[in-house]
Amino acid sequence: MVRNLRELYQYRALLLSLTLRELKARYRGSVLGFLWTFLNPTLHMLVYALLFKVVLRQEVPHFLYFMFVGLLPWICFSTSVNGGASAISDRRDLLTKVRFPAQVLPATVVLTNLCNYFFSLPLMFALGAAYGIWPSWHAVAFVPVLALQVLFTLALTYVLSALNVAFRDLQHIVANLMMLAFFLTPVLWPLSRLPERVQQAELLANPMAALVTSYQAIFYEHRLPALEPLLAVAGISVVLLWVASAIFERRREEFAELI
Amino acid sequence: MNAIVLRNVVKRFRKQTIRRHHTTFKSELLGWLLRRKKERASELIPALEGVDLEIPRGKTVGVIGRNGSGKSTLLKLITGIYSPTGGTVEVNGRISALLDLGAGFHPDFSGRENILINGIILGMSRAEVKARMDLIIEFAELGDFIDEPVRTYSSGMYMRLAFAVATHVDPDILLIDEILAVGDEHFAKKSMAKMSEFKKSGRTIVLVTHDLGTVEKWCDLTAWIDGGKVRLYGDPAFVVEQYRQAVATAEQQAADRGKVELPPPGASLPAREVPQPTFGPKVGAPRRYGTYFLEIERARLLNGRGADAAEFDTEDPMEIAIDFVAKEPTEEVDFFIEIARADGTSVYATNTGYESVRAPRLSGRGVVRVFISRLGLIQGAYHLNVAAKSRAGAVYDLHRELYPFSVRSKLPDVGFTRPPHRWEFDAAEGAPSLRAGAGS
Repeated sequence: MVRNLRELYQYRALLLSLTLRELKARYRGSVLGFLWTFLNPTLHMLVYALLFKVVLRQEVPHFLYFMFVGLLPWICFSTSVNGGASAISDRRDLLTKVRFPAQVLPATVVLTNLCNYFFSLPLMFALGAAYGIWPSWHAVAFVPVLALQVLFTLALTYVLSALNVAFRDLQHIVANLMMLAFFLTPVLWPLSRLPERVQQAELLANPMAALVTSYQAIFYEHRLPALEPLLAVAGISVVLLWVASAIFERRREEFAELI
Repeated sequence: MNAIVLRNVVKRFRKQTIRRHHTTFKSELLGWLLRRKKERASELIPALEGVDLEIPRGKTVGVIGRNGSGKSTLLKLITGIYSPTGGTVEVNGRISALLDLGAGFHPDFSGRENILINGIILGMSRAEVKARMDLIIEFAELGDFIDEPVRTYSSGMYMRLAFAVATHVDPDILLIDEILAVGDEHFAKKSMAKMSEFKKSGRTIVLVTHDLGTVEKWCDLTAWIDGGKVRLYGDPAFVVEQYRQAVATAEQQAADRGKVELPPPGASLPAREVPQPTFGPKVGAPRRYGTYFLEIERARLLNGRGADAAEFDTEDPMEIAIDFVAKEPTEEVDFFIEIARADGTSVYATNTGYESVRAPRLSGRGVVRVFISRLGLIQGAYHLNVAAKSRAGAVYDLHRELYPFSVRSKLPDVGFTRPPHRWEFDAAEGAPSLRAGAGS
């Protein structure tokens, strides 16, 4: 596991360049260009807002802001996982021609989406400001929570991208499961909607629930996030990363042959 | 010192025929994860079957062979993109592989942006690429197009840009797969000049190509890969000639059967019926070369009394002693001898392989002796040529025209050799036969 991350660090120049390229390439050629970084989540949000505010009559105060706090990290997570699943299998052109550690590719996807998340943060703060909500000192917890999310996303993306080389079905399965996971995660609804007993189970079993509620705690409820669910996420992430590293260790030479 | 050493490298691929699998997803997944060895021989496609190759530092080595013979697989193994199924690959030095031009080029990015990303993919640091940016742009000769998106480039421009980046990586070992024929006449010349520069600066180049002319002109050594093995390794002109003849023979055989195809890709070309000469052509090739894995210190010519000699009589015996040093213990070696006339014409050549003489395990210093009971050559000036090669055909050490000797004779007979013979008359009148003989 350490070796896996060390290699990633060794190839950081490549990682950064590929990420930069992805960021630049994403909206290249479109008229609005970089603006899409803001427009996409905004439009996303408006669709859900229409559904939940107007049709379903969601009764959460400052619902748009509440939703945004959870939606942005969720988008960061889900696009990473969806894109990361095929990160290795789609880059035949690189992997069969140049020698470099394959984990750079899923890591690029995660890093790219992390950057996009950063770019969309001002939007969240602007929306909060419009409601008269300002970040409190609790925002210090944001960095460790985000770091945890990156670790979890990276680990999951590693596993999926490695397995997807041999089993291409996975990327389609993942895309559909992510849709399900979205509705199982308290992004559009507050956790308090669930029965008391289920809440704790949800937080421990669904790492994204733990992370999303942490963001909501920090930015929406202005309190520090609960520690236990985050520790569970950390545990799950380390195990996933360990599994992923083991797969990469054993299978790395087959990637070039299988894709 | 060798830049690249391959020892008995085997590479097999799992067959990935597209068909319905009767296995379940779960069993496949588990099998893959647990790395179960369920591969049957029939499911494996051999690409390389025991390749021994030593590429000395600073040499330019051409790799030739038919499509599907395993050339590109060989390069990918050296690069480390594939790992060998068996055997070892040893690489000493920073390697740069140009297996494909423009790896990671993005069509929507400008030439300049692509130089940066491509350079980093090829192993340069950001600072290194930036420092060489102007050189690369100048070399590619794209003018104002350098700031246009690459998708607007003509294919020639695209290749020029890619080649420019690739050749500015500055590695110790450069692997090139079939990409020298880039751009127009002018750029091709420039590319060649760039390659010469590489060569002159003492870097090792391995070049896979079908352009046999380039191989003859550029390479110091040439490996002919056929059916997943090194069929011949040595002097380029010689190897290329052998390869051409083998292709011609195969085509002839196919034509005889009324077919146009050669043996299927991956299969070896038929062996030539004429025995293979053991030594290279006489003009232009170096007098001594090899990988010196097993080094021939010298060859000695001894007369019947076991003393060094440079002059023999046709009827004399001769002993050839080859002093060698095996740097690592080996059994996989064949010794070659050839006697050639001063003009280079081969008079006789043989080797331990032809004669099924198996060398014992050799290590350190040793001597191989060949005893000739009667020399049998007509008078004139000759050379002894000797060589040691690996079983796979790699030239360990070859000495040509380094050991001259002369043969004197009482008779002014002509030709090559004097076979043991006698004359006899059957006279009609029953007179006693007149006999005269030589060399019996």
